[in-house]
Amino acid sequence: MESSDWELVQKCQAGEIGAFQELVSRYHQKIYVVIVGLLRNREDALEVAQETFFRAYRKIKSFQGGSSFYTWLYRIAVNMAIDSQRRQKRNPLEFRETMDGLFEEQNEVARDPFSDVHDRELREKLVASINDLTPEHKAVIILRTVEGLSYKDIGEILGCSEGTVMSRLHYARKKLQEKLGAFL
Amino acid sequence: MRDCKLIRESLSGWLDGQLGTSDAEIIRLHLESCASCDGERRQLEKLQSSLKSLLVSNVPRIAFEPFWAGVRERITKKRSWHEEIMEWARSTFAAPGLAWTVPAVIVVLLGVFALDSFWKLGSQRNNFAAVESIDAHGRNVALLREDETKTTVIWLYQNQEGEDESSGENTETSPSF
Repeated sequence: MESSDWELVQKCQAGEIGAFQELVSRYHQKIYVVIVGLLRNREDALEVAQETFFRAYRKIKSFQGGSSFYTWLYRIAVNMAIDSQRRQKRNPLEFRETMDGLFEEQNEVARDPFSDVHDRELREKLVASINDLTPEHKAVIILRTVEGLSYKDIGEILGCSEGTVMSRLHYARKKLQEKLGAFL
Repeated sequence: MRDCKLIRESLSGWLDGQLGTSDAEIIRLHLESCASCDGERRQLEKLQSSLKSLLVSNVPRIAFEPFWAGVRERITKKRSWHEEIMEWARSTFAAPGLAWTVPAVIVVLLGVFALDSFWKLGSQRNNFAAVESIDAHGRNVALLREDETKTTVIWLYQNQEGEDESSGENTETSPSF
């Protein structure tokens, strides 16, 4: 029978690195997708995702199970991604170049859901609009869209109330809607 | 809730299924009768599906083994003392870590102002510096010092016969100068 997250955490706290490996295998893809959404750069996201798990390993003894393991892990990931993003903004030109590289890679993917020119333009506009959001607004959009997390879980991850999550989501979607205008 | 503006503010929560049953029903009924708000709903749904395509479908799967190797390398690698200090400083002085300092600073400031006003009150009490009886006929001298305006008043007065000295406020006095 598969162990629960909490059982694996307790084993980690007792020093079993194999239990931590199991937790990493459960969550590495989800954490990576969220960080890619926040950073829009695959290489940086991979680095930040690995660093997230390293931080989690170092702090796991302080995890008391007051919240679920994944909200705790997402909190570390989001904080690290926002921190990394703020440091990246010191060099916006380099960031733009890596984003353009990402577009090229995405065009080579066979299962591109944006098949025609209109949708391609919409995607490009959408990427630019997401990048214009503040890290806090971007985080609620990503956590809701990618993971479908409840407002309560998002609030726990970001350290704010459900009401704040709802208002940030409303504001962020409104901003995106305004910028995308005729494309929607 | 029937107002279009209020309905649109709640549409996001409604689409996410995060509203209560009665609010959700009010919005559903409004959308059936309001083409403009229903158009807004369609736009939000399109936005949501576009976001999902962009943020989820285009992200590649990453192989676990090399990913774990990277994490394991970080775990087993001995960090230098300055890396440890930098990590400690980053986690301690990062914005969420500093959140406790805001109420702490407010409490300290309130404490300083409270002590300051206490001392000021204390000094106001001490403005009445002294009252001394100068002879056996009820004549007194009072020295008043008001710190804030740096005013000093010396007052000579005589108690009425038979009056208690402690009821000085009601005492008719005859200033000598």
